[in-house]
Amino acid sequence: MSLRLRWARGAGVTMIAGLSLVAAACGSGGESTAAESAGDGKLPAEIKLVGVRDTTGPVAYAGLGAVKGTQLAVEEINNSNFLGEGVKITVTEKDSANSIETASSEVTSAIADSGVAAILGPAAGQQAAAVAPVAERSKTPIVFTQAGSDGVVIGKYTFRATSPMDTYYHLATEYLAAKGLKNVTVLYNATFPTFAQLAEKTMPDLAGKSGLTVVSSTAVQATTQDFTSPTRLIAEKKPDAALFFLTAPQSVTALKQLRQAGYDGPVLGTSVQGGGNLKSAGEYGKGVIYPTDFSPAQSQGKSAEFIKNFQAKFNALPDQYAAEGYDAAWWIARAIKASGSATRDGIQQGLAKVAAEGFEGAMGQLGFEGNDMRVPGVLVEWDGEAEKVVTTTP
Amino acid sequence: MSDWYAANIVLVQSTMTTLLLALSIQLPLRVGVFSFAGVGCYGIGGYAAAICMIRLEMTTWPSIAVGTLLAGAASFLLGLLIQRLNGLYLGMATIAFTLIIAILAVNGGSLTGGAAGLFGALGDLTTGSILAVTLVVVVVFALSETGGLGRRVDAVREDPELAAAMGVDVSRYRRMSFLVSGLVGGLSGALTILLRSSITPAEVNFQLVVLALTVIVVGGFRSWAGALIGSVIFVWLPKALDFVGEWETVVYGVIVVLAALYLPGGVLGLAADLYHRLRSGRRGGETDDEKGAGGADAGPGAVAGREFDQLAVPGEGR
Amino acid sequence: MLQDVFNAVVLGSIYLLFALGMALAWGTIGVLNFAHGVTFMFSAFAAHLVADRVALPAPLIVVLAAAMGALISCLVQALVFQSILRRARNPRAAEMQILIAGIGVAVIPLAIAQRLTNGAPFGFGSAAEQAQVYQVGGLRLTTMALVVIVVGLGLGVGLAWWLKASKRGLALRSIGVDPETASLMGANRTSLALGTMAVAGALAGLAGALLTYQLGAISAETGDVLLIKAFAAIVLGGLGSQAGVIAGAYFIAIAETFVIVNNWGTWADAVSFGLIFLMLLVRPQGLFGRREVRRT
Repeated sequence: MSLRLRWARGAGVTMIAGLSLVAAACGSGGESTAAESAGDGKLPAEIKLVGVRDTTGPVAYAGLGAVKGTQLAVEEINNSNFLGEGVKITVTEKDSANSIETASSEVTSAIADSGVAAILGPAAGQQAAAVAPVAERSKTPIVFTQAGSDGVVIGKYTFRATSPMDTYYHLATEYLAAKGLKNVTVLYNATFPTFAQLAEKTMPDLAGKSGLTVVSSTAVQATTQDFTSPTRLIAEKKPDAALFFLTAPQSVTALKQLRQAGYDGPVLGTSVQGGGNLKSAGEYGKGVIYPTDFSPAQSQGKSAEFIKNFQAKFNALPDQYAAEGYDAAWWIARAIKASGSATRDGIQQGLAKVAAEGFEGAMGQLGFEGNDMRVPGVLVEWDGEAEKVVTTTP
Repeated sequence: MSDWYAANIVLVQSTMTTLLLALSIQLPLRVGVFSFAGVGCYGIGGYAAAICMIRLEMTTWPSIAVGTLLAGAASFLLGLLIQRLNGLYLGMATIAFTLIIAILAVNGGSLTGGAAGLFGALGDLTTGSILAVTLVVVVVFALSETGGLGRRVDAVREDPELAAAMGVDVSRYRRMSFLVSGLVGGLSGALTILLRSSITPAEVNFQLVVLALTVIVVGGFRSWAGALIGSVIFVWLPKALDFVGEWETVVYGVIVVLAALYLPGGVLGLAADLYHRLRSGRRGGETDDEKGAGGADAGPGAVAGREFDQLAVPGEGR
Repeated sequence: MLQDVFNAVVLGSIYLLFALGMALAWGTIGVLNFAHGVTFMFSAFAAHLVADRVALPAPLIVVLAAAMGALISCLVQALVFQSILRRARNPRAAEMQILIAGIGVAVIPLAIAQRLTNGAPFGFGSAAEQAQVYQVGGLRLTTMALVVIVVGLGLGVGLAWWLKASKRGLALRSIGVDPETASLMGANRTSLALGTMAVAGALAGLAGALLTYQLGAISAETGDVLLIKAFAAIVLGGLGSQAGVIAGAYFIAIAETFVIVNNWGTWADAVSFGLIFLMLLVRPQGLFGRREVRRT
């Protein structure tokens, strides 16, 4: 009942504000068939999205990054009249505060508000896994960023704008193979689903393909803080390269202690090292190589444009979380345009349609596997101050 | 109303599951057993129910029953094993038990899904059915606070030797507290997980112990009503504090500190206090007598410690 | 093998450094301070903020962190714990309230640090972290590891001795056993408690700075993990016994190192907690504890 009421009100505003809709359709032109449907007056003047992510707590950097990326995208979408003159996207951000209950409560509230067209979901895997079935049940499209674990993209209405780490980690193994670094060690945090998956399933696979030998694979816990013993074991193996899949603080300690244990070969990490998380490692962080889905060092096409605009707006370099938040918002905008509808079902169909075709975003040419994004990825090296792109060609 | 309900259904349900978890920690405390095994049982119940639904394809309520009973059994055995421990040593042993449950889940291979946990265990639960189950538990707990049973429980906590001398089988009460705590903790875990549909080892952690303890101490830790008040406060606080934005957690901390400072008997203690004052105001001179009666089973000197006053509250309606 | 033993000793000293202050406050004045973890973290964080702006020599940073720790701890004691103790006449109720108040206090610096770092790890800048590595026999040692061991063990043994031998130590211990009689005998409970908390806080700050050097960087949550380990070490050793804390810390470290060296890393906590569990079954009062259990 309230649904009809709200949409009626929305439509009214559209008619008043949308006198020049035809012009809008022309202005945004060139975008194939979608442009016509955007212009036929079906879209409300305000399309409400809700973002539910951690903007406080231990992984606040991921949530805050995504929020900024989304803000930039929405500004671009609205200013360019991408969805037609007078059609604006607004995003209300909610802090899930590192709590599964809060995330699922905020998502449920957003779903209950029939004015909300789609949700930008939490970055933490556990929160995402808890809200995914809620979104499916209520047929509300939700686009996650990060949330790399299983059980997140589970049906028609759940989408993810982040490529799982294991889909582009081949960049690292191919680099090692190209450099002739055959014997590698792995040190990983086995309590983190993403790292566990990467170390236990993906690495053996990739190593086989690239002709590498994993000489040792050392598991630690999320609570492990001192790495004197595990790094000694690694240094003793004298590997050609040492790989580590650890959280940001763990990485700093492991790097330092690995060097102190007498290992001075190349070290490879994960995209967790992005976003300046290696700064506190100082000297020890220099030269660490890792594949990531986005780097501010990228200098081509849409990525470069995104970096430029982001810097202009926030006076800082974007990180991968911002790029993901940016692409997630653009994905939704394209979806609305593609289906010509800003209803929940319309957006769901649109998201699937856009996914089937792929598009170019901040993270490069984006492909999709079902509702799950795939990116080309980029291999970067931390030089102590910033990332620079590493080329795999020998 | 129904709009409000739809928007807040998670909090409504979560209030009840949090209450159950808090009760599973509160009961041993009331018997004088410093046990946090209830949180470990929450993990056992959650995992067992999820495994039943996903791996054995059982339906919702049988899965919950399995989770509850398994957790109860585990807790009972644990109780047999560590019943001669006391005080904080018992507390440490039960925290160790809780954390070991989480580590078993990480290393449980395909059964527990390892670090990624289990997902897709969406139970067919309605708020009404959860409410019914919670009510049953609350009624049982409320009964245990009144009459002879209530007095014996108090005696076992306050003075085990005296209780034993009076013919109360103290160690039986302690063992039973483990059993009931395990059952209720397991029930809470099973319900929570089947509502959420997923569980990971990281959720069974020390923070959950802290939350349960905070709930009952701030609410009032001698009665189920205290646990209820605490659950309502801590489940709804984040929403109520929405307006302070990014500093929400700081305000949360301040509230907990203030409660610890000024509400020694919890919110329930405060309510009982006001009630006493109201009554004694009306009846004038009887104040002292009443306080004496309220603190009678707590021994002399307990009058100032308001927590003991509430001991008498649930029974006062008789 | 020798290297593993050395590494276990380093790890044990880390746990010990952290646990010392907590054990001191708990074993003497009965304050189980759950804000000890954030005192540790926030002292290091404050020192990090200073070190970020001014280049300071390492000893000065350590002193700064220790002072910060003492300050935080005193504030908590004066503003919160003291007034709980004053109000509550029942020691058991007070103990529980202090526990909860500590939990509440802990939330505040944690949230502030998380807010300011956005979850990124922090250290003392790159200039301060270049540790010297020595090769002695088959052993690889770093200056920082040696400092951690010497300071940890030195303070641990020193504190235990001080409590046993000095007059103040006696006064403190008497408070732990029977506060009323102790105050009748002339021990000023309030000022002794404040002094104890200052020392405990300084120890937390010291541990924070040293650990940040040893680990390279810590995060806002580092204190939380150590809190559980310290809790375990203290209970394992036997409450009220400083010698017990030393034993408990090394016991846990040795167990964990053993597990990691054998590459059962994901079982590390299970083994240490399992051992604690078994140990308590055999000796319910902890390794060095008194048989009569005072607290509930």
